[in-house]
Amino acid sequence: MGTVILESLRAWWPEAILSLGALLVMVLGASTRRSQPALGVAWAAVLASGAALWRLHAPAGTGLFFGLIVSDPFSLALRWIAWGSVAIVLLLLMASREMERTLRGECLGLVLLVGVGLMLMAEANHLLMAYLSMELVSLSSYVLVGCLDEPRSAEAALKYLLFGALSSGIMLFGMSILFGLTRALAFPDLLRASAALDGSMTHALRVAVALLLAGLAFKISMVPFHMWTPDAYEGAPTAVAALLSVGPKAAGFALLLRLMTALEPAWPSLAPLALWLAVVTMTLGNLVALAQTNVKRLLAYSTIGQVGYLLIGVAVHTRFSLEGLLLYLVAYLFMNLGIFACAVAVVDDAGSESLEAFRGLARRAPGVALLCALFLLSLAGIPPLLGFFGKFLLFGAAIEAHLAVLAIAGIINSAVALYYYVNIIRLMYLVAPATSSPLATGPAIRWALGVCGAGTLLLGLFPGALLGMLRASAVVNLL
Amino acid sequence: MLLTLLLLCPLSGMLIVLALPRTAVRAIRAASLLSTGAALIVSLALLRGFQTSQAAMQFHERLSWIPQLNIFYSLGVDGISLPMVLLTALLGFLACLASSSITERRKEYYFLYLLLEVGMLGTFLALDLFLFYVFWEIVLVPMYFLIGIWGGGRREYSAFKFFVYTLAGSLAMLLAILALYFRAHTFDMVQLASMGHTLDLAFQRLLFFAFFLGFAVKVPVFPFHTWLPDAHVDAPTPISVLLAGVLLKMGGYGFFRIAYPILPEGAQWFAGAMAILGMINIVYGAFVAMAQTDFKRLVAYSSVSHMGFVLLGLSSFNREGLNGALLQMFNHGTITGGMFLLVGVLYERTHTRQLDAFGGLGARVPVYAGLLTFFSLASLGLPGLSGFVSEFLSLIGAFGIWVWPTMISVTGIVVAAAYMLRVMQLVLLGALNERWRTMPDITPLEVASLVPLLLVILALGCYPLLMLQIQEGSLQQLLAHVLGR
Repeated sequence: MGTVILESLRAWWPEAILSLGALLVMVLGASTRRSQPALGVAWAAVLASGAALWRLHAPAGTGLFFGLIVSDPFSLALRWIAWGSVAIVLLLLMASREMERTLRGECLGLVLLVGVGLMLMAEANHLLMAYLSMELVSLSSYVLVGCLDEPRSAEAALKYLLFGALSSGIMLFGMSILFGLTRALAFPDLLRASAALDGSMTHALRVAVALLLAGLAFKISMVPFHMWTPDAYEGAPTAVAALLSVGPKAAGFALLLRLMTALEPAWPSLAPLALWLAVVTMTLGNLVALAQTNVKRLLAYSTIGQVGYLLIGVAVHTRFSLEGLLLYLVAYLFMNLGIFACAVAVVDDAGSESLEAFRGLARRAPGVALLCALFLLSLAGIPPLLGFFGKFLLFGAAIEAHLAVLAIAGIINSAVALYYYVNIIRLMYLVAPATSSPLATGPAIRWALGVCGAGTLLLGLFPGALLGMLRASAVVNLL
Repeated sequence: MLLTLLLLCPLSGMLIVLALPRTAVRAIRAASLLSTGAALIVSLALLRGFQTSQAAMQFHERLSWIPQLNIFYSLGVDGISLPMVLLTALLGFLACLASSSITERRKEYYFLYLLLEVGMLGTFLALDLFLFYVFWEIVLVPMYFLIGIWGGGRREYSAFKFFVYTLAGSLAMLLAILALYFRAHTFDMVQLASMGHTLDLAFQRLLFFAFFLGFAVKVPVFPFHTWLPDAHVDAPTPISVLLAGVLLKMGGYGFFRIAYPILPEGAQWFAGAMAILGMINIVYGAFVAMAQTDFKRLVAYSSVSHMGFVLLGLSSFNREGLNGALLQMFNHGTITGGMFLLVGVLYERTHTRQLDAFGGLGARVPVYAGLLTFFSLASLGLPGLSGFVSEFLSLIGAFGIWVWPTMISVTGIVVAAAYMLRVMQLVLLGALNERWRTMPDITPLEVASLVPLLLVILALGCYPLLMLQIQEGSLQQLLAHVLGR
């Protein structure tokens, strides 16, 4: 037993370092009121974990910790995305003025723990681990959403918690039915046992899977489990909203794909449902986003719209769509964290979350405005940015699988979404600023903007290398 | 490497402008003029090295870009794209010359202007559908800003309308490109064209329609034209020149380069509708132009009318028609580009575009009057000037096949004569409006931006073979390919 743990640990250093860092940061936070030491430790942990990830080479399908988690190229790609979102969000936390008073050990520690949870979600190979990792992410996020000293932050956290608890309950119910049917918890066993089911039991399986998906739908803000998203984003500190909008979405998709593979026998009857949920999710997100005047709410609905595009990758379920999904997740990481970085800068400066705060940004901070426009155009899917290439692959996958309805829905939605994305560009470039004082940005936000901008533009111009790397991770059989 | 060099001219100019400080206005303008001028020189070098006897792609360049998807950085010119490249480089330089009227936020202006030129040139050079789409979309973004920031009137509305219309159209095209890829597993236009006849008819019709939506918005084909008057009128003068002169041609070029060769049966299936739409464009555009009181709006609607001849020529599927259509694209670029420059000259001095606000300017500004008369006559299709040749060829080509649409289209020329003569009468003749008693005549710089166009119009009017011999080989080949002979 000892050797198994030691062996497993070798492929698990990134998470181990991050967890230790998180605990240390929390202890530091309890003992000193200054944020500097905690920040230092947090960064040390993040960088060390990144180095450990870099040195890791994951052979296909190695079960770790008695098969609870699995380390394969697919999870490695998702772990990088989780790591990237945590690192960039740390930068945003440092830059954000609203967090100045509350940026102590607890918050930083929780962010790192979210990172651990995200990585675990990507690796989970067992229902128990899937549940635990999701709860780790959820519980940490509830607190993070409520960490501002304001009533609306607490309200948002409570709303988020209630919704989260409900969907966790539904998910657990689904899991218990599943266990009753198959007497298995590990994903490979689930696949074997569910394939052996026949007769009326397959209906029960379908019900169990549907309930299970409800829990995941909550994490990735899929309609009809999206309602918490705008409220939680609005109440949460902007940097935390940024984390919620990227990390859990990516990890949720990873877990969804793995679960789908494990429950392959139930999939054919659920595929039409997934298809329509994708269409409804993108349409609802984009249409409601049109009417938003608050930056964070707008970005929340934009997230829902983007999740709809990502769901194309799930609904199509081919090797090509998986590549598209992974690539779009990378694109989404850069462009969405980028736009949130702009939002942090603008909201901090204006003290208001109204879209009006973006007025005339091009004259007050040309660099920020240019990058902001870049991220928005990438979200809207304008070439040669990475967001376009991701959409290109996803829509292509839909056409390849003869599901043109998905591609057409995606196209129409892209045209609709253009309206609210370009509206922000209009405010920045075509409207005179309310104040003429230049908008100052600190080094942290500049780093975040620079990294996201470089990712969006350079990877968009030369997506070949990224695609080549992801191709290795995109294996349809994830078990 | 000549084609990459051509793209690098405006691209490097753009980077230089980006690096220059905001206040170095002269340096920014000099860099822009130099880079657009260099692009013009390179395009003339292309013309020099071009083998008219050869129908295939020339100056071909091909580099792997995204190997996983078989996407190449593939450029080339033939008799169809070379006229468009020349037009773009020429108007790109002249409109840059005319950009001296832009006086605020100049660094941003020239940065976006050069990005726009990269996109336009790339669209005409690309031989890979993915690359083509990227360039096609790159054009939208700077255009949005150029209209929205430096335009007049309802510029925000017009810029946004332009963006949404064109994007919606091009998204339909994107679907068609994807569908083609998963049929043929290549984005290479030449390779796709060689497979053209093997695609089944229903598939070809569907795809042709999708491509049509993308191109029709750009041309613009009635009823997708409503963005055009707004965008053209509200854009600043140099941008109007590029909009009318080059952007509209991207749509027509798409038919020649993509829709016709790759979907030959689909194209023939659509020919009747194309003829009818061309007819509507010609007649409707002309009558609406006739009703305008705003000079710029009138020229904008005359574009709708003139682009109708391109559609009519395209619908004919014979040598005369296709030659006429392609030549009409070039000629419309030079003539209407000149008209927009002239409207800009007038607007800068008077700050009005209302036709009835002028009068009697012929005696006051004789040089301007001469130029306006020349370009108006070219626009109405006076024999001896280039517009006549191409409209005539389009009509001849279409007449043998679509008798009635062609006959109705001819009335468009009559109406064109009416509205253009009305312009001359209202602006140049009659009693001088006292408000313009001290109006200065056209400056040498403005004349310099018009004279090259004038010479081209005159040369092609007298000796159209100059351009026709460039087009001929490639168009013959296209025709033989589409008709399957």
